[in-house]
Order: sequence, then C-alpha cells, then structure tokens
Amino acid sequence: MPVFKDAEQLYDCIGGVLDYLRTDETVSVAFRKSGLVIRFKYSDPDSEITLDGSQDPITLTCGPCDRAPTVDMTMSADTAHQFWLGKVNLVAALTRGAMKAKGPIPAIMKLLPVITPAYKKYPDILREKGLDNLINV
Amino acid sequence: MALPQLFEFHVRPRILYGPRSVREIGFEANKLGGTRAFIVTDKMLRQVGLAQRVADGLAGSGVTLVGIFDDVPPNSEVKVVEAGAAYAREAGCDLLIALGGGSVMDTAKGMNVLLSEGGSLLDYEGAGLLTRPLKPFIAIPTTAGTGSEVTIAAVIRDEAQGLKLEFNSPFMMPDVAILDPELTLSLPPGLTAATGMDALTHAIETLVSTGTQPLSDALAIGAIKLIAANLRQAVQHGDDLEARGAMLLASNMAGIAFSNAMLGIVHAMAHPCGGRYGVPHGVANSILLPYGMAYNLPTCAPRLAEVAAALGVETRGLDDETAALAGIAAVRQLAADCGLPARLSEVGVPHEGLAQLAADSQGDAMMMTNPNPAGEEDVLALYERAF
Repeated sequence: MPVFKDAEQLYDCIGGVLDYLRTDETVSVAFRKSGLVIRFKYSDPDSEITLDGSQDPITLTCGPCDRAPTVDMTMSADTAHQFWLGKVNLVAALTRGAMKAKGPIPAIMKLLPVITPAYKKYPDILREKGLDNLINV
Repeated sequence: MALPQLFEFHVRPRILYGPRSVREIGFEANKLGGTRAFIVTDKMLRQVGLAQRVADGLAGSGVTLVGIFDDVPPNSEVKVVEAGAAYAREAGCDLLIALGGGSVMDTAKGMNVLLSEGGSLLDYEGAGLLTRPLKPFIAIPTTAGTGSEVTIAAVIRDEAQGLKLEFNSPFMMPDVAILDPELTLSLPPGLTAATGMDALTHAIETLVSTGTQPLSDALAIGAIKLIAANLRQAVQHGDDLEARGAMLLASNMAGIAFSNAMLGIVHAMAHPCGGRYGVPHGVANSILLPYGMAYNLPTCAPRLAEVAAALGVETRGLDDETAALAGIAAVRQLAADCGLPARLSEVGVPHEGLAQLAADSQGDAMMMTNPNPAGEEDVLALYERAF
C-alpha cells in the first residue's frame, strides 16, 4: 500500500519539505546559484512538483507547471518519502533504477550537501500534520 | 566488520582473458547473434594494426565487418558519438566492437544508445533513463586502467555547452569483455604508469567507500596485490606479457569493484583537474591519491592498513594508523618509481585555479561515498598540499 493516500497528501508532505528548503537561507542561495528548474515526477500517487530556481524568489508548484525543467527526477512517491527520511542513498537509487534523473547529474549532486539538513525537518513536518504514523513506514 | 543491510553487485559482462584471445572475437560475436559488426577505435590503434587483428578474428565466423570508425579523440565529444552512430547506422551494423581505452569505450557506449534507441545523445544525459537492452556490444581494452569495459557509465564532452556530460545505465555495459594482454604491449611507459595508478586508485577508493561490500572488497584487494607486484615491471619492461596481463586483469577487477561500490574524494578532486586544465585522469589520481588517503585515515585506518598489506608493506606488529601511513608512503614510492609527477604544479595546474577546482569537486557524485565528508575548504586545503 502506498505511503500517501492521494496527490493532495503528497503535496502537503513532500511539498512541505520542499517549501521549507525553498525558504531556507542557505539552500535558497545555493539553489538560486544553480539556476536549476527541477521537476519531480512521482508515481503512486501520480503527481508532480516543480522547484524553479531560475527566478528570485524561488517558486514551488504542486501539480502541472509550464516551466521547462533542466532536470527531471522520476521516482515513486514511496521512494521520495524514504529519501526525505534519510533512508535512501541517491547514488545507489540512481544506479538501481529506483530514481531516474534526466539532465546534469553533477548539478544535482552539488545541491545534496545543502539539502541534507532537511532530513531532520521532514519528520517534524509529518508530525505537525498529524501524520506521525508515516515516519516509520 | 558488519555486513551492509542491502547491497547489489552487477557481474556483467562475461570476461574472456588470455594472450591472443582477440582471435575469439568472431565466435563471441556470433554467439551474441551479430551478423554485421562495426569497430570503434582511434587512428593510432588502427595504424599499429590492432584493428586489423580484430578484423582477422572475425574472418570465417559468419560475422561481416561492415565498418571501422577511427575518429575517436582522447576525450570524446557528443558530435563524435553522433557522427560515429550515423556511420554505423548507414553501414547497417547490428553489433558494436570497442577497441581502445576509456574514450573509445565511452564513445561506443554512446553510439550504442543512439543506434538502439535513436534520438539525440543529449536526450539520455542522466541516470537510469534506458529501459531495455541495447545492441550486442563487445569491449576490448587496450589500456590497463579505466576499467570502462565493465562499468555502467560514459563521460562525454559537449563542446557546445563546454561541459562533460554523464550517462549512466546498466544497459550501457558491454556484453563481453575480451582481455588480451598482447594488445597492451605497445602502450608507452608514461601511459602504462598513469593508467596503472588510475586502476590502483579505483581499488583503494573502493575499499574505503561508504558503498563498499564484501564482493567488491575481494576484487579490490586482489587488484591492489596485482598492481603492486606488476606495475613497475609493466612500465620498465613493457614487453613483459605476464606483467601486462596482470595489469589488464587488475584494471578489470578494480573496474568491477568500483562500479559496484563507487569511489571517493580522490576522483572527485581529479575530475576537475582534467576538466579545467587537461591533466590526464591517471596522472591527477596518482598525484592526489596519497592526500586523499591521508584525509580519510581518521575514519578508516583499519581499511587503509589492509591496503598497506596488499601493497606488500610488512604490517605485522604495527597498529592500524602506522600501517596505513606506511601504505600511503608505498603509494608515493610506486608512483615515483613509475616516473609520475608528484605535484599539481608540475602538470599545468595554476595556483590561482585551486579555489575553483575545490568548488567544482563539490558537484562530483564520487564525493557522496567518501568516508570522511569533505567541504569546499577541506578540499582546497588538500589541493594546496598537493600543489
């Protein structure tokens, strides 16, 4: 059974952590510097979130977005959930096909060190939304 | 040591080793179902007759050689891959043979993607984008270092963007790798030394990688022993077929090992040196390896002590840290004995470029699996020491 019951719940949780990153000073500076437009495409439930670092302020769109992405990250919603819980090694996930990345991999890797603090934030976001039950899924 | 919770180990391709094993190419091509073979190589290898030896091996097998593409430069480019694929498609090829070093292998991997899936090479930049097997593909390395014949990746420069692009998929791996040490006899001493140190770096970084696991460990240790025992001889007596064979196997073993366990800070620091200043990859690795080992020592002294023992250092009675330091000294000595430079300042890296190199290293995927996390300032300090 998928972790998220529907796209709205995914936007609430995964969108929540991405929104935290968007507004975090350190991450937003690094992300703006990269100029990347990253589209996350999820399955189970089908959904997509676009983080646009090509403009100031950085924008976050839950659902279809007109901006052409520089990087497309495709994965199941469950994999995304595990990733933000800090339980997925990105390199291993890409190698094993649990995640697919279309675009410049080095640019994505460069952002990883700045986004890892959000691993600690994600469980807090789940708790705030009364979804403690998802933390150990 | 605790076993990892979950790991995966790719064992493709099938490997055929032996002097004159290139003669088996026709049999192997036939077995893969190929009927119209196409060779990807470079001009030098064609001139010295190695492409002809592949062609001779195909004779009488029922597999026709329909073309040879020899325009591969030392660092391949998108336009080269696309030109090669167009030529191979026009020739009606249904099986690719890569004969050469890392650049040739990577070019052939890219060509195979285009031949099998169509489109533009840039459509496949990234990881995990291929979903099915490509055309049959045989790799015959003529250098002993990159291990490209057993890896899932290709790095190809896009002149238009001025960037090196990465392509990763298990489907890009060759089906068969033929390791014929006779094909490496003509490799000059400098290149033998640099590629050999590249293989040594693969093996050592595999052992300390956070992605390491018992299967890759065994191959990495085996590779280090072979390199320690044979690299000097292969450099100083290039006609020694035994030493050449041992190095070819060591490169292959280290290639399988790192392809499964990933690498670390030395590669993350060497890649920008190549990208910005054209420092040959093996040379950059050779210079930076002792510094990377020293940086990682606080987090993995027991592992580096194992490296020292595999290098032939007498470690009995030594604590791990002392043994590891002796191993680092042995690596330095090996590089010096092979005539390789010891400093970045000797290979055209300007001091004012070090800060940019440190920034570049932070975007390298290999940094992810380094045991001792390294930020930009840590890396800059290491570059300074290696300068």
